[in-house]
Amino acid sequence: MTALGIDLGSRQAKFAALRDGEILWLRDFDTIPFYKRFASLREGRLHLDFAALALLPAEELAATTAVVTGYGRNTLALEGARVVPEIQAHVAGARLQTGLDTFTLLDLGGQDSKVARLEGGVLVDFLMNDKCAASSGRYLENMAKVLDLSLEELSRHHRDPVPLDATCGIFGESELIGRVIEGHSLERLCAGVNNTLLKRVLPMLRRFPQETLVVTGGVAKNSAFVELLQETTGADIIVPTHPQHNGAIGCAALAGS
Amino acid sequence: MVGFTTTIPLEVLLAAGRRPVDLNNVFITDPDPAGLIEEAEIAGFPRNICGWIKGLYGVVLRRGIAEVVAVTEGDCSNTQALMEVLTLHGIRTVPFAYPYDRSSETLSHEIAKLARHFGTTLEAVEAARARLGRVRTKVHEIDRLTWEENRVSGGENHYWQVCTSDMNGDVDAFEAEADAFLAEARRREPAAGGLRLAYIGVPPIFADLYPTLEEMGARVVFNETQRQFSMPYPVASVVEQYQRYTYPYDVFTRLDDIEAELDRRRVDGVIHYVQAFCFRQIEDMIVRKRLKRPILTLEGDRPGPLDARTRIRLEGFVEMLRGMRR
Repeated sequence: MTALGIDLGSRQAKFAALRDGEILWLRDFDTIPFYKRFASLREGRLHLDFAALALLPAEELAATTAVVTGYGRNTLALEGARVVPEIQAHVAGARLQTGLDTFTLLDLGGQDSKVARLEGGVLVDFLMNDKCAASSGRYLENMAKVLDLSLEELSRHHRDPVPLDATCGIFGESELIGRVIEGHSLERLCAGVNNTLLKRVLPMLRRFPQETLVVTGGVAKNSAFVELLQETTGADIIVPTHPQHNGAIGCAALAGS
Repeated sequence: MVGFTTTIPLEVLLAAGRRPVDLNNVFITDPDPAGLIEEAEIAGFPRNICGWIKGLYGVVLRRGIAEVVAVTEGDCSNTQALMEVLTLHGIRTVPFAYPYDRSSETLSHEIAKLARHFGTTLEAVEAARARLGRVRTKVHEIDRLTWEENRVSGGENHYWQVCTSDMNGDVDAFEAEADAFLAEARRREPAAGGLRLAYIGVPPIFADLYPTLEEMGARVVFNETQRQFSMPYPVASVVEQYQRYTYPYDVFTRLDDIEAELDRRRVDGVIHYVQAFCFRQIEDMIVRKRLKRPILTLEGDRPGPLDARTRIRLEGFVEMLRGMRR
């Protein structure tokens, strides 16, 4: 039987299908077009147009169990799906993808940064960013735009970072513009942006053991950030094959169990 | 009517025959508390200043409160500036200070000064303490019914204890309400099972924290500061009472009280609430180091229902505690 996991994130809605612990497929949609095209509210519950989504043939869909997490879950219950807390979903995804049951999870998504500690399969502590999303994927997207680069290009550079100190992701843009005018190389500017992310994340990581760090969320694809994190913490860093779909994979794993 | 910015020796106002008003309670139960904050910000209060300070400012002006006792030591220093701004509006302000070193000499001087200001005597203050003691004992019983018999919800526990700071302005009416509540609560069936939480820190600015936790299957059985407002220790004098009262002094004595209650009340996890921009956020480091239980630090800024992110964090915490219990 197919197990379906859905992670309604701030930047993307992600889907994962699992059968017998194996990933069948992964899909994602940008959040706003996704809600506009496929979602509606019926009697206070979120309804998704699965026919239009065309993820699965109708007969297979009928036999599917679904688990959902993410932002949409807070105010809306999704029709026909069990709702789980985000932390639970991400931990389950990381366990399935890495096969580990003792590690510290660092999940850096569109707006959220989460750190969770798992020991022997039991969640023993966790932390989430509060009030401020300056250490998130959205911040990197904005900064790439300011530098007129792709996110991929931004993610390549970690050496000799230009110092950036603004605590606000929006004021950070004008600070970066100031550094561009000063004539620093693009590589150093990119490294500076990636380094600010590290500076925001380190205080969150501080109270957790760091022997094994599993890094998930879209930011895990930023190899410069991962490099900086490795240099600073000395941790054994594991980026699963599908970091961005980790929450959806976790939901599917919970749906199948 | 005399307003005050945080718990003060209520006995003095009662002895002087003045009607006490805890400005915090008026602010948070206002039909539009967010509007009060907006008024303060339009007047010039910075955005990055505690919501309670701005709320108190709004309450004093909107309700036409003519006299305010401002706690200038033992609470935050923002109160000093608030007092000065209120003075500018022609409001009479009376400073009161809890000495950080708990000196009984300084504290008895402060209480005597307050009594003199309101034209009452220390004998009358002690008599008022005896009167308040009878009501406080009833609230202590409500607290016991919460953690020992599981007949009172965390939200009710919060309400009854937090109200003891000013007894809702009318001691007799408050006592009658407490009697009626006790009679009803004693007949209830005890709540079954579920996770047991402690709530520590200043009272929450969120409107729906307690019912939300109960929906998630977790009940608050210890409200730290609210319980302190009810003066939970048996003492011999008004000075000793406000010496034992932990809230205005160092965090370590607060933690001694918290640790003892966590054990006594068999608490599974702790919610440490901190107000955005409050100096007590720094003390979270010490709280985390000392308490050997799972802790979730919750930050609140403006009044209203819990925001989506805070709900996510609460759900995660409750889920984690459940996993640890299994």
